[in-house]
Amino acid sequence: MADPVLPTPTPTPNPTWARATPADGRPLTSHPVADPDLVDVLVDLFDDYRSSRPGPSVNLAFDADLWGRLDALGLTRLSASEASGGSGAGWLEAAALLGIAAGAAAAVPVAEHDVLAAWLLESAGLPNDGRLRTVCRPDPSGVAINVTWASDAASIVALWEDRDEWRVADVASGRSEITAGRNLAGEPCDTVVFDLDDLEGGVVVDHSIGEQFHLRGALARSAQVVGGMDRVLEIVVAHVTERTQFGRPIGRFQAVQHLVADIAMEAALARSATDAAVARAAASDWSDPGMLFAVGVAKSCVGHAASVVVRGAHQALGAIGTTREHELHLLTKPILCRRSEFGSVHEWDETLAELASSAGHDRLWPLVLTGRAAPPSVSRSAT
Amino acid sequence: MPRPLIPPIVTEQPALTELRHEVRAFLAEQIRAGAFVPHVDTWLTRWDRDFTRELGRRGWLGMVVPPEYGGQGRSYLERFVVTEELLVVGAPVAAHWIAERQIGPSLMRYGTEEQKQAFLPGISRGEIVFGIGMSEPDSGSDLASVRTRAERVDGGWRLTGTKVWTSGAHEADGFFALARSAPLDPAHRHDGLSQFIVDLHAPEIEIRPIISMGGDHHFNEVHLGGVVIPDERVLGQIGDGWSQVTSELGFERSGPERFLSTFQLLAAAASAMNEGSLPLDAGLGRHVARVAALHHMSFAISSALEEQTESDAGGPGASAASGAVDVDTAAAAVKVLGTTEEGDITDYVDTLTASGWPRGDELFSLLEAAILQRPGFTLRGGTNEILRGVIARGLGLR
Repeated sequence: MADPVLPTPTPTPNPTWARATPADGRPLTSHPVADPDLVDVLVDLFDDYRSSRPGPSVNLAFDADLWGRLDALGLTRLSASEASGGSGAGWLEAAALLGIAAGAAAAVPVAEHDVLAAWLLESAGLPNDGRLRTVCRPDPSGVAINVTWASDAASIVALWEDRDEWRVADVASGRSEITAGRNLAGEPCDTVVFDLDDLEGGVVVDHSIGEQFHLRGALARSAQVVGGMDRVLEIVVAHVTERTQFGRPIGRFQAVQHLVADIAMEAALARSATDAAVARAAASDWSDPGMLFAVGVAKSCVGHAASVVVRGAHQALGAIGTTREHELHLLTKPILCRRSEFGSVHEWDETLAELASSAGHDRLWPLVLTGRAAPPSVSRSAT
Repeated sequence: MPRPLIPPIVTEQPALTELRHEVRAFLAEQIRAGAFVPHVDTWLTRWDRDFTRELGRRGWLGMVVPPEYGGQGRSYLERFVVTEELLVVGAPVAAHWIAERQIGPSLMRYGTEEQKQAFLPGISRGEIVFGIGMSEPDSGSDLASVRTRAERVDGGWRLTGTKVWTSGAHEADGFFALARSAPLDPAHRHDGLSQFIVDLHAPEIEIRPIISMGGDHHFNEVHLGGVVIPDERVLGQIGDGWSQVTSELGFERSGPERFLSTFQLLAAAASAMNEGSLPLDAGLGRHVARVAALHHMSFAISSALEEQTESDAGGPGASAASGAVDVDTAAAAVKVLGTTEEGDITDYVDTLTASGWPRGDELFSLLEAAILQRPGFTLRGGTNEILRGVIARGLGLR
């Protein structure tokens, strides 16, 4: 068949072009963003914290003063339901708080106390008096290692897998043997030996609570890491703009520009993956069957981005960025710590690989979009 | 907080998902019927006018073109999901790609009423096929250095010069040529450039093939031997060529073709791991995760561009959230990350396979094609080195 030849011109005036609108009035997208008024409050509060806190140190001590300020604003119980004394905010707001607090390297257990411990108590129908709590998963013998903030908590919420059952126990700190330790970030990260009677006295919860705990923890850590990366990028951009060598700011060198661009892009990819998982969690209150995949995508992208962001940032900052006095390590150390919590990067990659390979050729794309490998009959029936 | 690089993510609602399923079901049927064989990089390498016309009949071309010009009057987001569905199955979409992505939107924005009436209905039916003529033998990344001359003649402009890397020029009906209509002013290098709508069937035009390293013919050198373009075929304003060309870069750089060119290979690798012909490996998960994240980024930019387009047209305008983002910088980021990922998928599967792999196998065919196409991923549409500079500028470093 001969190709049609281009039409020949006949001159006419050029009217204003009016853009067409979608044929049917239903919305095409929704825009899941945290309450902007709350975000403004958080940004101001943590900017103020960053500018007034003591200088950077190797070890972090729980900041009771900041915790008091957060508590007074209802931010220590942000995500708990109003019925249980919380603010009833959703995951969009919780993730915003986690990220902004992490960007200020705030030494407070927001993830442990609110997002995880308070949720477990509520799921188990246990009371919550609002005192400082952390959370852990003791092994069958009642030992939990790497429990952040245990030494500071008034009570430790344990999620315990007892043979075929999951139990939640709220154990006052004095009842357990706590051996103080530190993680790479310098946060209290302790070993807790529970009295088995305390764990056996815990409330039996649905299996889904045990599975969800891992996902919630992984996504909370991802939200913290992307918040930290935002601040790292800010520090890097400021440094390469101010630091002068060879008679010009080092940010004018193309090699440095490309290094900084790579940091910014990886951080942005990690943020998109995390925000998408947070949006899915918020929209479905974690009931969406695609949550495992969505959290895995976030954890994987965050984990691999951390490699690029942390190495690149220290390279851009030079030797000064490796000192105790500099803010940078307050961010880069927690980023590396947190990417490995609630499942290593590799474990999450393996989980995603299993989901992808069982989805197979024809269902890989539905898996990417929805987190579920919808059976072929679904797409056929849509015609 | 720093200004975000990427607009906030958006969530797809049922109206879009239903459209996806409609397109997906059609494509599954086409594959079953043998209408096409899924492949990699099909928006460059798989040219099928019958398939293109079939998409036009179904209303999946000219989606953002207003109905008065033969289009569907739908949104960029609807076009986005149709595009994704076509790319993930490796459908033959090269024939309409440039017209659909760049030519149509440019005509809607800069074309005269007559030009819009002349071309948009044919583009929307998949009957008029366009290429784009920007690069030249001495002008690659430095586009302002183009030397194709446009000389004023009675009633039009005479074009003399050579365009290169014009994909599909040997099959296309016309192309948009960027030419210098005023002498180069070294102080204002972006001035004096203009865009012309060129009929590739004109006798003063010679099209020579450029054969790729795998032996395929997709690229061409287009020699403009003094062809006269009437005033009515000038696109937009004489001298505004630079701003016209760069205004569409957000769409060109952030679309799903920037991260889905090798999706068929990734899907084949997933199946091979399921069947045991490749070892189940965590790397698959890593790549699937990056593709998923890139989808979210690309979709968010598409949504922001839609709002920007509405705003330009006097509509509701950009939301405060996405208005804080420079969309061109965001698009550059998607293109760097996405085209790198397309290549990384290729390299990943290559490192998993051994020389004993059966050569006729589907996975191996896709892999070989991907290896041959991969160098182009990070070159076309702005090299990743140039784009990192764009991002650095967006961050305030230059």
